[in-house]
Amino acid sequence: MTRKLKKIALVFFLMFVAIQFYQPKQNVSSSFDIGKNFANNYKVPPKVLNSLQKACYDCHSNTTKYLWYDYIQPARLFVENHIKNGKKELNFNEFATYSNRKQQSKLKAISREIKSGTMPLSSYTQLHQDAILDETQKQEIISWIEQTINKE
Amino acid sequence: MKALILSAIIAITVVSCNQKNKETENNTTETSTNSNELYACSMHPEITGKKGEECSKCGMELTEPVAQVEPIHEENEKTQELKDTTKLPTNDVKEKVIETKTPFSINAIVANYLKIKNALTKDDAKAAAIAGKSLFNDFNTINSNSLTTTQKKEYLDIADDAKEHAKHISDNAGKIDHQREHFVTLSKDINDLIKMFGTKQKLYQDFCPMANDGKGAIWISETKEIKNPFYGSQMLTCGSLKKTL
Repeated sequence: MTRKLKKIALVFFLMFVAIQFYQPKQNVSSSFDIGKNFANNYKVPPKVLNSLQKACYDCHSNTTKYLWYDYIQPARLFVENHIKNGKKELNFNEFATYSNRKQQSKLKAISREIKSGTMPLSSYTQLHQDAILDETQKQEIISWIEQTINKE
Repeated sequence: MKALILSAIIAITVVSCNQKNKETENNTTETSTNSNELYACSMHPEITGKKGEECSKCGMELTEPVAQVEPIHEENEKTQELKDTTKLPTNDVKEKVIETKTPFSINAIVANYLKIKNALTKDDAKAAAIAGKSLFNDFNTINSNSLTTTQKKEYLDIADDAKEHAKHISDNAGKIDHQREHFVTLSKDINDLIKMFGTKQKLYQDFCPMANDGKGAIWISETKEIKNPFYGSQMLTCGSLKKTL
């Protein structure tokens, strides 16, 4: 019996080792188009930009700051898939490719998501404590977006 | 035991090899030789054939070269000639074909918008999602090439945004509140589209002072009777008629 169990455990272990070899392309690019970048098209106060970078950019830009366990499968697969969907929804590095109206909608959506606490996702903040925004940081972002929308 | 380890090693090599294959997989574009070029009758452009052949309607020689488009448009094209269609038709020809088939009209868009609206008044998130999907497809298939440059720019500005809201309404069949959030801005977009391109149908612009976190929001309706899509059965008759479009 124990022999059988050992065998099964070994199979799982070897499968775990094997899957480590599958490492999809990382979401890390050294450069981006300034013309399309969010921070180059809006006057974002440094505090607000800093909060956004900390809390949003891992999944909503072309550069993710990976943590060591992000490289371990199957977490890696989960993370990459997550980033792919996040970027499809909103990519700060390509913000200016959206039409003006869409940019306005996106800003409103960012404000709404942060206000309601839907974003950043709790599954993400559990592992990335520094992505948690406190009330002042949230308020800074929301009021800046409010100003920016009303200006246009 | 040895066999187990051996099989694991094989598994590893297979996985890592697969990966490489995926990376090096590149899109080879086929360039086809264009030996079977099509010619059309100068009097009957719908009659096509090879060079030197005669028109079946008037007997004239086929002299007008035809830029080949998708086989669906060319009824006379034989299936064996399919491989020649890998050669892309020149852009302007393609645009012309589509242009004559579907002149620019926002009727389909408005119709699907109204479907979403009616589903939301009935609190039917599923029906709203289905209509949202149709609306999303409308925006993808509509051809705006017949518009003037300024019109087109303005249209695309609105469409880019509206498309996104349609997508979200279609993706959130389980979350009617989220659908309604997107419906706020979608209604504004549709309102502006109607302002630009007009409508054959008699439409009304209604206003709900409570929607959009108390900031108020408009919606477009085909009926004079107020049926509130932002709250549905909660307060169906709440809202006011603002103007007739």
